[in-house]
Amino acid sequence: MTTEEPMKEPEKSLVRARGLRKEYGRDEGLVRAVDDIDLDIARGETVAVMGPSGCGKSTLLHLLGGLDRPSGGELWLDGRRIDRLDERALARLRRREIGFIFQAFHLMDELTARENVELPALLAGRSPRDARTRALSLLEEVGLADRSNHLPSALSGGQRQRVAIARALVNEPTVVLADEPTGNLDSTATYEVLRLLARLRSSGLTIVIVTHDERVAATTDRLISMRDGTFVDQTRLTGGTRGSLADLAGLER
Amino acid sequence: MGTALLVFRLAARDVRHHLGQAALLVVAIAAASAALTMGIALNGVTTQQPYATTRAATHGPDVVAYLTSAYQATKLVDASGVASHSGPYPVASTTIRFDGRLADVLAEGRNTAPAAVDQPLLTTGNWVRSDGVVIERTFADALGVSVGNRVSLNGKSFAVAGIAVTAAEAPYPNLCNGTLIGPNPMASKFSNACPPSFKIPFLSLPGGRELSSSDDVGLIWTTEADAIGLTSKANPLTTYALNLKLTNSDDAQAFAYEHFQSNPLAVSTWEGLASEDEKLVQDGQGVLQPGALLLALLAIASVSVLVGRRLSEYARRVGLLKALGATPSTVATTFLAENLALALFAAVVGLVAGWLASPLITKPGAALVGAAGAPPLAPSTVAEVVGLSGAVALTATLVPAIRASRGSTVDAMNDVARPPRRRGRLVRLSSRLPIPALFGLRLVARRPRRALLSAANIAVTVTGIVTVLAFHAFADNKLSGAVALTAGGLSNPVINRDEQMLTVITVMLVTLAVLNAIFTTWATVIDAKRASALMRALGARVRQVSTGLVVAQVLAALPGAILGIPLGLLLFMAAVKGRGGLPSPLWLIATFVGTLVVMAALTMVPALLGARQSVAEVLSSEAA
Amino acid sequence: MQQEVVLAMLAKEPSHGYELQARLGQALGPLAEGINEGQMYVTLTRLEKGGFVARVDAPTERSDRKVYCLTPAGQERVTEWMSDVSWPRPDLSEFHMKLIVAAQGALADPISIVDAQRRELLRRLRDVTSAAMEEREGSDAALLLEGIVLRLQADLRWLETCETSWTERSKNR
Repeated sequence: MTTEEPMKEPEKSLVRARGLRKEYGRDEGLVRAVDDIDLDIARGETVAVMGPSGCGKSTLLHLLGGLDRPSGGELWLDGRRIDRLDERALARLRRREIGFIFQAFHLMDELTARENVELPALLAGRSPRDARTRALSLLEEVGLADRSNHLPSALSGGQRQRVAIARALVNEPTVVLADEPTGNLDSTATYEVLRLLARLRSSGLTIVIVTHDERVAATTDRLISMRDGTFVDQTRLTGGTRGSLADLAGLER
Repeated sequence: MGTALLVFRLAARDVRHHLGQAALLVVAIAAASAALTMGIALNGVTTQQPYATTRAATHGPDVVAYLTSAYQATKLVDASGVASHSGPYPVASTTIRFDGRLADVLAEGRNTAPAAVDQPLLTTGNWVRSDGVVIERTFADALGVSVGNRVSLNGKSFAVAGIAVTAAEAPYPNLCNGTLIGPNPMASKFSNACPPSFKIPFLSLPGGRELSSSDDVGLIWTTEADAIGLTSKANPLTTYALNLKLTNSDDAQAFAYEHFQSNPLAVSTWEGLASEDEKLVQDGQGVLQPGALLLALLAIASVSVLVGRRLSEYARRVGLLKALGATPSTVATTFLAENLALALFAAVVGLVAGWLASPLITKPGAALVGAAGAPPLAPSTVAEVVGLSGAVALTATLVPAIRASRGSTVDAMNDVARPPRRRGRLVRLSSRLPIPALFGLRLVARRPRRALLSAANIAVTVTGIVTVLAFHAFADNKLSGAVALTAGGLSNPVINRDEQMLTVITVMLVTLAVLNAIFTTWATVIDAKRASALMRALGARVRQVSTGLVVAQVLAALPGAILGIPLGLLLFMAAVKGRGGLPSPLWLIATFVGTLVVMAALTMVPALLGARQSVAEVLSSEAA
Repeated sequence: MQQEVVLAMLAKEPSHGYELQARLGQALGPLAEGINEGQMYVTLTRLEKGGFVARVDAPTERSDRKVYCLTPAGQERVTEWMSDVSWPRPDLSEFHMKLIVAAQGALADPISIVDAQRRELLRRLRDVTSAAMEEREGSDAALLLEGIVLRLQADLRWLETCETSWTERSKNR
């Protein structure tokens, strides 16, 4: 494992994992999807996790988001231990602390964009009017105010993902987890989402992104490479480049 | 508050999205509810004890005696135990003619003043007068006559002054007025079976025929003078009716035994008449109950299959809701709310339909007070029907709901469930077959659970049809003794009612079965949409693919149909408690073959329709 | 700046140096920042020396401005270039050699070299992606930036393969 700078102190971490494990099967059939991971993510940090298919990055994200329970290890979110919570408490966690963005968007086909965004707010017990206001303002932020009454089938892939992002933000989560957010999108749509993510980043949100796309990874603060369930590399991406932009174009001096 | 809106919204949208399935659910439950409502109405008729009510309202007699002379009455009237009496009244046998219909009647001659015992209660019109007769209600219905009409008795014209009910005779057509007294009178109860050929020798009909209980004889009341006027030299007055009220009603059987030991057929007791009336209702229940049971089962099966099919879809929705932070209880609620709401709506529809239809079945008890028209909708009835529908929906959806809400969120969301398993042998076998068979076989092997659901659906359908057939055979058997239409053109109200009930139940069963079949075939095609498109992409012709779908459907239907036949028979036997006749094997074979043919034909339609959609469209759409 | 590009720009019409600079800037967007006027004039001088371009005095207010135009040789060169299909060379062999010689001569850890290079490329990718996001969709610069992004992505993937491969090699030793 190579790093450029030392890890931040655990006390300052928003997300903290120690010895995190997730296993399937038994004996010879035992698969270690996540194998003894230590992780610290500071508040406001954006982290990308890259790796080949099947390396466990999605599983890791599901563990961080409380969508799955770890087989072992410890997991803290905002100072609270979350790996042993029961289903009710986990649900509460997902409602209030975590915003999840999926590769396949996972919008409800029968609900309009606005209703999709309202969904977590209503689940969290907000009044219908409150949820509606919030949903509309978020749709405005992601640039889809004029499509709030459209069904997902009437939206492009990029638009659907933006709706999904709005949905993830509606309950003001502490951390946003994105699983291959640009995986199903073409180039233009990818840039749409990248712009949004950049804005989220600058607003101070803590984001963890699992991605295949180097462009997405390049916009984060830290890039973690994963293979076979463990971290094999961590790279800090702060700082400027050594060359100029023009060099990249191959423009001779 | 927000959660309530959410649940409502999800339910409403989902129903709109899957209108067909929702409609089927509603139809299934509504049919069962309607049957239940009718059953309760019929039950209400017995529990209301209309005979007792009628008896009280008409000062019904404890014992009715048929005497050959008025003198015989004096002895009886003074016998110990007799509290009061009315009569003896002359009873003339004659024929009545109205609107082309002809029937034999007994005309009882009465005073215009009310009698102390057995004063028939008028439901419409007035009591007897000169030239005016009163007709017993059920008989009036069968004859089709109402107050103000004119009827012809023995050639003479009379006005119908009124229509009444009485507790002294069994209502038409069961004018079976005999008590069978066995060796131990105290222990003997009225035997339910009137010997088909018993005769009252002293009561004879015009033309010298002797009255037997299988003749449908109606009852009318006239003035004494008119009654006597109906007799003639050729048709003399031979019978007098005497109504007795005892100091102790319970002594009726003993009294009858004591005085009519040698001539048991000349007397009726009130208990005997009461059980005659009860028989009517039980008769009806004998048709209605098994029918209602079957409908209920069919409804539950349909609902389960409907819900079962949506399970993976539900699972996905459940997974997403959980990922967005819904608690297990919220998830289960959204799952149940929709089905419960539909069930309740269906319950109300069925309730209203059953209530409107119930006069059909309670009518033959119409000779009695308190049994005409639609029975009032008691709160208990409403509660029972609605409660049952809710229970059906609950049972069918509860287990899947709980299972879904406890499963792994991620798996549910990505619908990871079970990828189709490879069955090597089957694949090898199928590669020797022509394309349609290959396709069909592989479809079934790919999704065995779906095929099983399909089979279950068809089993239920066939069970329904077989039961209906068995029913009709049974009913034919039962009713074959009685004639639907008398020689004179009167309809037999009991048979009418039984037939109507049978028809209603048959229609409901068949509708449910047909809808089930349509849904099943349509579902088969939809499930195989992607596979079908693939086949076409690889070069199969549309007809080959459609035939393949038919093969798949028939393969799934086969075990269902095979199972359905014995199931149907078993169910029917259980319902009629083994008293049934069986449909002919020819019909059963026809059902078996017919079901498969119908399923095949029904599959063709959505298959060919689906083929209209371009292959590219299907393969590129997100849903598999 | 590619000489052919300057030549071809002159094929449209004779221009001043600063006009050429402006056109270049418009086409390259933010990537033109590194190029100053001096480089343009150096290129023009070279072309003049080669006989492809001629300088003509043009009477304007500004004293040191000359207009450049194509010579027949220059015109021919432009026509040739238009149908030329050679592609800009990616220089991977140099890096490849760097890793091998580092390992062979125990000069440095190849994996560290790869990591460092990855970091650098990622940073560049970040910068280019940001620039691409700010460009108007469909602009000339946006198109160029897209090409650079794709190249960087490809290079990064190769670097990851290098990392895997060299990690394997070190394990097997």
